[in-house]
Amino acid sequence: MDAVILLVSFLVIMFLGMPVAYAMGLATIFTALWIDMPLEAIMLKISDGMDDFALLTIPFFVLAGAIMSEGGVARRLVNLAKVFVGFIRGGLALVNVLASTLFGCLSGSSVADTASIGSVMIPEMVKNGYSRVFATNVTICGSVQAILVPPSHNSIIYSIATGGTVSIAALFMAGIFPGLLFGACLVVLVLITARRRNFPASEKVPLREALKIALDSVWGLLTIVIILGGILSGAFTAVESGAVACVYALFCTMVIYKEYKWRDLPKLVHRVTKTVAMVMMVIGFAAGFGYLMAIMQLPAKATAFFLSFTDNKYVMLMLVNILLLLLGTFMDMAPMILICTPILLPVMKAMGVDPVHFGMIMLLNLGIGLITPPVGPTLFVGCAIGKVTMEEVSRELWPFYGAMCMALLIVTYVPALSLWLPRALGY
Amino acid sequence: MKRRYRQAMEWLYIACIGVAGVVMLVMTIIIPYGVFMRYVANSPSSWPEPAGILLMVVFSFIGGAAAYRARAHIAVSTFLNMLGDKNRARTKLVAELGMGLIAIFMIKWGVQLVQATWYNTIAEFPNLSAGVTYIPIPIAGAVTLLFVIERLWCGDPPADSFTFRDQPQTE
Repeated sequence: MDAVILLVSFLVIMFLGMPVAYAMGLATIFTALWIDMPLEAIMLKISDGMDDFALLTIPFFVLAGAIMSEGGVARRLVNLAKVFVGFIRGGLALVNVLASTLFGCLSGSSVADTASIGSVMIPEMVKNGYSRVFATNVTICGSVQAILVPPSHNSIIYSIATGGTVSIAALFMAGIFPGLLFGACLVVLVLITARRRNFPASEKVPLREALKIALDSVWGLLTIVIILGGILSGAFTAVESGAVACVYALFCTMVIYKEYKWRDLPKLVHRVTKTVAMVMMVIGFAAGFGYLMAIMQLPAKATAFFLSFTDNKYVMLMLVNILLLLLGTFMDMAPMILICTPILLPVMKAMGVDPVHFGMIMLLNLGIGLITPPVGPTLFVGCAIGKVTMEEVSRELWPFYGAMCMALLIVTYVPALSLWLPRALGY
Repeated sequence: MKRRYRQAMEWLYIACIGVAGVVMLVMTIIIPYGVFMRYVANSPSSWPEPAGILLMVVFSFIGGAAAYRARAHIAVSTFLNMLGDKNRARTKLVAELGMGLIAIFMIKWGVQLVQATWYNTIAEFPNLSAGVTYIPIPIAGAVTLLFVIERLWCGDPPADSFTFRDQPQTE
């Protein structure tokens, strides 16, 4: 009964339109009053939820990604991608996917990826004969790679949701191959569509120019080396690598590329502050919400409930995939990760699924939710940049959903794809 | 009176974003400073990490209050969009009252938390009261409450408000 009050009050308050973070807080307060729990304890848990050093990783990576996004790095990565795949039929769509992979490794955010790559690629694709809707669809789907590849902000949130039992470094490493597989599935779809619709191919970039482009973009790509190299070598923690990436992003865009000015910084800090503070409030209130769930032994009850359906690991994984895909269409990633992880992770552990592997499954499911109506932040940003309606985009998204679900199935049923690299590196 | 209140909230928003933004930049400086001291100066500092955590709490609560005025928080509007104008307005009113409740909760129990921990100290900063860590909670609660009153009394901030002046200039 207590658990029902917690969950139902949360859903009711949330559907009234109250921000998800505060809806969790209010539901927690109502339930605490119902079970006679002192509200001081709830307040302490909410505050403790934000009192974690690992959380500093989030503002740092968001800030670094935003600086890179506005400082001309995205445009250079697009040029670099053109060198590698621009000459193939449907080359610009492939450039879009590859540029998203590369930029995802800097920004760690699907929305930032869509905004940065989309503003460069969508107009160029349209100019070269691609339909506006197709260009938008490639952009938004390509950007989902950013939630898997390091430094994915959502990997950090998942690590926090597991109570720090899964390391951020392990999740960063685990996301590389699923991210690349996701990109490969989109590439296959683009190649098939390009042949069917007779998309054009661009001219090959001459070697001298290609070298110039590669040299120009290498400064931006060095950020990946700083982040991953720093963490893997043990020189930096994930938090430190994020902070160093911020300083380097400022240096790269202001001193080397000379495209970012000090006067642009206040606006960027304003925007990043709003975004990150919102995520932090979700994390804080989710800590209070999770505390009550733990007291009510909700994860254990959920495990027993799920196991009553089936004890077959593969069937369970399919059920969890369907559940997460459905939930992902209604809510943004951060709150979903924070709410679902404490409930579903014990179920997965009971089934023998590795928490790192489950992290990748969850991120990919909820990532697909980012581009599905009615609640799809990446879809909304993509539509705004592509100047198309959500209805137009949704009508032609089905083949992309097919490709993404193919990637999801492989990630779900081939754990080695997620686990091989972190294990090989000793995580 | 209404205009003055709106103007005051505008300044309050700017102050919140200013504080949270500066705190974020300070965090971005002190963590690499810790790395610099460890590897370059060969004299590791123990304070950047706990200082970063303290600043993070300030950033989250104060920035979170500002994000509420900017409507930057994630909310589910699917149900609201299905309602007629009148019912939508009523539902929004209930949601705002809920926000008011949680703001009062943050003020009341935030103050209690500060009082309860005021005579404790933080291990890394022996001269600093542990209660200081929790001060941003009641402050953020009070600011959120003021923003809730603004929304109930004056409506959403206007389009030319500073709240929305954070998008990069497009060519």
